[in-house]
Amino acid sequence: MSTSPLEQARRGVLPAFWDRVRSEEWRRGVALVLVLAACAFPLIDHNEGDLDAAANATAFATLALGLNIVVGFAGLLDLGYAAFFAIGAYTYGIFSSYQIQPEWSSFWEPFQWLGFVSRLHVDGVPIDHAHFQVSFWLMLPVSALVAAFFGIAFGAPTLRLKGDYLAIVTLGFGEIVPIVARNTPYLTNGAQGLNGALPPHLFGYNFGVQSTPFYYLGVALVVFLIFVSVRLKDSRIGRAWLAIREDEIAAEAMGVNRTKLKLLAFAVGAGFAGMTGTFYVAKLQTATPEMFTFPVSVMLLVMIVLGGMGSVAGVVVGALLLQLLQSWFLQDISEWIHWLGRTTGIGFLEKVDLVQAIELIFGIILVVMMLYRRQGLIPERRAVTALTLAQQTAVPSRSGLKGELKPLHRKAVDPKLPLLEIRGLAKAFGGIQAVKSLDLTVMPGSIVAVIGPNGSGKTTFFNLVTGLTRPDGGKVTLAGEDITGLGPHIVVEKGIARTFQNLRLFPNMTLMENVLVGTHTRTGTGALGAVIRPPSVRHEEAAARERVLEVLTIFGNRLMPRREHLARTLSYANRRRLEIARAVITEPMLLLLDEPTAGMNPTETLELSDQIRGLRDRGITILLIEHKLNVVNEIADKVIVLDHGEKIAEGSPEEVHRNEEVLRAYLGRTATAAVRAAAAS
Amino acid sequence: MDFFDVLLQQIINGVSLGAMYALLALGFTMVYGIIELINFAHFNVFMVGSFVGLWVFQAMGFSGQEQVLYGLPLIGILLVGLTVTMLATGFLGVAIERIALRPLRGVSGTAPMITTIGVSYILFNMVLLTIGANTLNYANPLPKVSWDIGQATLRLREVLLWAVSLVLMLGLHYFVRHTKMGKAMQATAQDQEAARMMGVDVDRVVVLAFFLGSALAGAAGMIFGLYYNYTSFIIGYTAGLRAFTAAVLGGIGNIPGAMLGGVLIGLIESLGGQYLEVRWTDVIIFSILVLVLVFRPTGLFGRAAPSKS
Repeated sequence: MSTSPLEQARRGVLPAFWDRVRSEEWRRGVALVLVLAACAFPLIDHNEGDLDAAANATAFATLALGLNIVVGFAGLLDLGYAAFFAIGAYTYGIFSSYQIQPEWSSFWEPFQWLGFVSRLHVDGVPIDHAHFQVSFWLMLPVSALVAAFFGIAFGAPTLRLKGDYLAIVTLGFGEIVPIVARNTPYLTNGAQGLNGALPPHLFGYNFGVQSTPFYYLGVALVVFLIFVSVRLKDSRIGRAWLAIREDEIAAEAMGVNRTKLKLLAFAVGAGFAGMTGTFYVAKLQTATPEMFTFPVSVMLLVMIVLGGMGSVAGVVVGALLLQLLQSWFLQDISEWIHWLGRTTGIGFLEKVDLVQAIELIFGIILVVMMLYRRQGLIPERRAVTALTLAQQTAVPSRSGLKGELKPLHRKAVDPKLPLLEIRGLAKAFGGIQAVKSLDLTVMPGSIVAVIGPNGSGKTTFFNLVTGLTRPDGGKVTLAGEDITGLGPHIVVEKGIARTFQNLRLFPNMTLMENVLVGTHTRTGTGALGAVIRPPSVRHEEAAARERVLEVLTIFGNRLMPRREHLARTLSYANRRRLEIARAVITEPMLLLLDEPTAGMNPTETLELSDQIRGLRDRGITILLIEHKLNVVNEIADKVIVLDHGEKIAEGSPEEVHRNEEVLRAYLGRTATAAVRAAAAS
Repeated sequence: MDFFDVLLQQIINGVSLGAMYALLALGFTMVYGIIELINFAHFNVFMVGSFVGLWVFQAMGFSGQEQVLYGLPLIGILLVGLTVTMLATGFLGVAIERIALRPLRGVSGTAPMITTIGVSYILFNMVLLTIGANTLNYANPLPKVSWDIGQATLRLREVLLWAVSLVLMLGLHYFVRHTKMGKAMQATAQDQEAARMMGVDVDRVVVLAFFLGSALAGAAGMIFGLYYNYTSFIIGYTAGLRAFTAAVLGGIGNIPGAMLGGVLIGLIESLGGQYLEVRWTDVIIFSILVLVLVFRPTGLFGRAAPSKS
C-alpha cells in the first residue's frame, strides 16, 4: 500500500510511519529486528533481577496471546483463563516432581526405559518407589493437549450459551480450579504447593535456576505463538472466529458451525495457557494454588485490552508494558513522588506507594480504555486510505455478467423437478401462528417473489427454510433431499443461502473477508493446515480469493475498489450488495433475498433487479421477499402472497394483481369493494 | 442435637443467607433484564454498602457489639442505618451507570462487561488501599435475644433479617407491578425499542434499575455485617458469585425468581456445609450454575427468556 508524500503529510508523519512499519514489505524486517533486539537483551543487561522479570514477562505475553484467541478473535469473554494456566502447570509439576511416588513394580520398567520414571531407592526403606521425571520438552506439548482437552470438556456444555453467561461460567471455573488444587493435596500438595519440579535439560545443559536460558526459551515461545496467531487469524479458521465475534447468527447463516469453532478457539487458547504453565512451573520449580487465581485472569484481560483486543502485536505490547510497569516503572514513579513529597513538604506524597495500587491501576486501565480507546493502543485494524475523488465519482458500471461467466451454483439441478418443495410448514410463537400449513413449490431457474403485508410471516418463513428457526411441523425438501430442521450452517452447505432484512454484515471485517467467510463451507482448511500452510492450503486460499473477486464483479465497480475497506464504512446500498455477494459465494442452488432493494433509490433498484436476473441466468434459483411491486412485476416469474401466515394466492404477477383476496389483504374490505365498484362502472 | 434439630438449624441459617443473596440477586436480575448486561460492579457495591453501614453506625456512636438497644430506639437506629446505606449505594450505582456505562450503551460485544469488571476492581482496591486488608468488627446494636426450638436456636437477628428482606422485596415487587415507573421498567425489559416509542424514557429506567439494584445491594451489605459481626474488603467476590447463581437459578430477569433462587442457594450453602464438606461448597454452587445454564437456561422458575439475539 503506497501513499503519496502529500497524503503522508496530511495524515501526519507518525501515523504514516506506522503505516510503513505495518506494511507488507516492512513487516518481516521489523519483526526480525525486534527478535534480534530481544535476543540481544541479556547481552546488554546483566542484572539477574531484570532478566528474571523479562523471562516472566515472556510467560505473560504467551498467556495474553492465548487469551487473545478466545477474547480477541472469537469474542468470548473468558474470566477464568488462569485455570488453564494452572492445569498446564500442575500437569508438568506432577509428572516431574516427588509429589506422587507409587511403589516400584515391573509395570514401571518400560517407562523407566523411556526415561519417564526413575527407580528411587532409599537405604533402610524396604520398598523402592517410582519417581516421575518426564522430560520438559515432551511435557510442553502434552500439557498443551491436556489443557486443550479441559478447554473442550468444560466448553462443550457451556459454549452454546450466550456470551455473557459464558463470562460468569468461566469466572466460576477459574475460581474452582485453584480450590480443587487446594483440596486435593495428594496430587498437588495443597496450599503449600508442589515442590521440586524439574528444570528443563537441553543436550545435557541444565537450565537450573538461571534466568537467561528461561528468557531465551520464553522469547522462542512468544515468537512461536505469535507465528501461530498470525497464521490462524488470516485463514479460514480465523475469519470464522472473527465472524462469530462480529455476528454469531450471520456467521452461522454463512455456513460457520459456531459451536465447533468456539470450542476450537477455547481449545487453542487453553493449549497456549497449558504450554505456558509448563514453562512457568519449570522456571519457578513450584506451583501453588494462589498463582492462578482470579487476579491473574484479570491481569491478562487488562493486557489484551490495553494492547488491543484481536491485535497480535497489540497484546504482546500490552503484556510487556504491564510487566514493565509492575517490575520497574511503578517503583521508580513512586520514588519520584516520594522525592517530590520530601522537597515540597507534602507528607501525603511521601507515603504514596503505587506498587500496592497496581490492581487499582488495572481497574482504571480497563475503564479508561473501554470508554476512550476500545481498539487498544495498537488497533487490530488500521485505517484504509479513502477512495480518491475519481474513484468515488466514477460512473457505476452495470454488472458485466452475461452468459460467458462460469455458473455460480455448485450442483447440477434437474430442471424438470421442483428445487424447493414445502409441505405443511407451520410455526407458532406463543399464541401467534406466524406460519400456517404452508405449501409451496419453487422450480429451478425461476425467480419467485413472496409478498404480503407486514407481519404476514414472510421473514419467519425464510428463517424456517434456512434453519434459523425450527418449524413446529411440515417438511422442507431441497432437490429431493429432506432438510427440515437442519442447523443453518448445514442448510448453507446443502445449497440455500440468504440475506437478511436488517443487514447482518461483519462490520469490523473488510469486504474481502466478509465475502471470504461465505466460502467457509466450500473450503476445508483446518487449524493445523492454517498454521502450517501446505501447498494445498495455499491453493485453496488463492482460489477462494480469486472467487471473491469474480463474485464482486457482479456489482461492477460498486464493491471492487472498496474490497479492503471495513464493511461498516460502506453506504447502505453497498451493504446490501455485499450481503448478496457473501451469499452468492456459498454456491447456492437457491438464494433467499429478504427485501434486497430496501433503502435503494429507483436507479439502484433498477440496477439490482438486473443483477438478480443475471444471477438467475447463471443458474441460481431465486426466492425473494419484496415490497416494491414494480420490482416484483418486472423480475418475478411467480408471485406468492402470504397473509397471517397463510398462502392466499399464487400465480404470475398479473394473476395475483387481479386476485380479490390479495386486494383485501392489502387494502381492507371496504377498499376492495370500492375497487370492484370502480372496475364495474 | 439430633438430626432434625441440626436440619432445622441449618434451614434457619440457610434462609438467612438466602435472604441476603436474594437481595443481591435482585440487582443482577433487574439490570440484566433491562440492558442485558452482567454487572460485575454489583459484587463490590455490596461490599462498599457493608462499610457504609458500619460508618453510619459508628457515626451514631456505636462500635462493637456491647451497646445494645431494644424496642423503638433499635428500630429507629436500624431504619436510619438502612436508609442512609441504601441511598449511598443507590447513588453509587447511578454514578457508575452515568460515568462508565452510559457512554457504552449500544456498543455490542464484550466492552460493557469489561467496563463493569474494571469498575468492580476500582471499588475493591479503593477500599483495600484506604481501609486496609484487616477484617473490621461490625457495630451491632442488636440485643442477643434468641429462642430455642428443640435444640436449634433462632436468634433475633435472623428474624429481623428476614423481616427486612421481605419488606424490601415486597416493596420492590409492588413498585415494579403497580407503579408507572415500574411498568415502564417491565416494558423496557421486554422491548426497549417499543417502550421508547411509547414514550418511556429508557435512560431514566436504566438509571432507576441501577439505583434500586445498588440500594438493595447496600442493604444486603449492611445485613451481612449485622449477621456475621464483621466486614472486610473481600466479601463481595464470593457473595456476588453466589447471588449471581441465585439469579440464574431463578431465571435471570425474573424478580420473584431471584428471591426464590437466593433462598435456594442459601439452603444449599448451609446444608452442603453441614452434610458435605465446607471446602467444596463453591464447587457445588458452581456446578449448579453450570447445570442450570446448560439444561434449563431460563431458570427453575423462568418463563421463556426474552431472546434478543
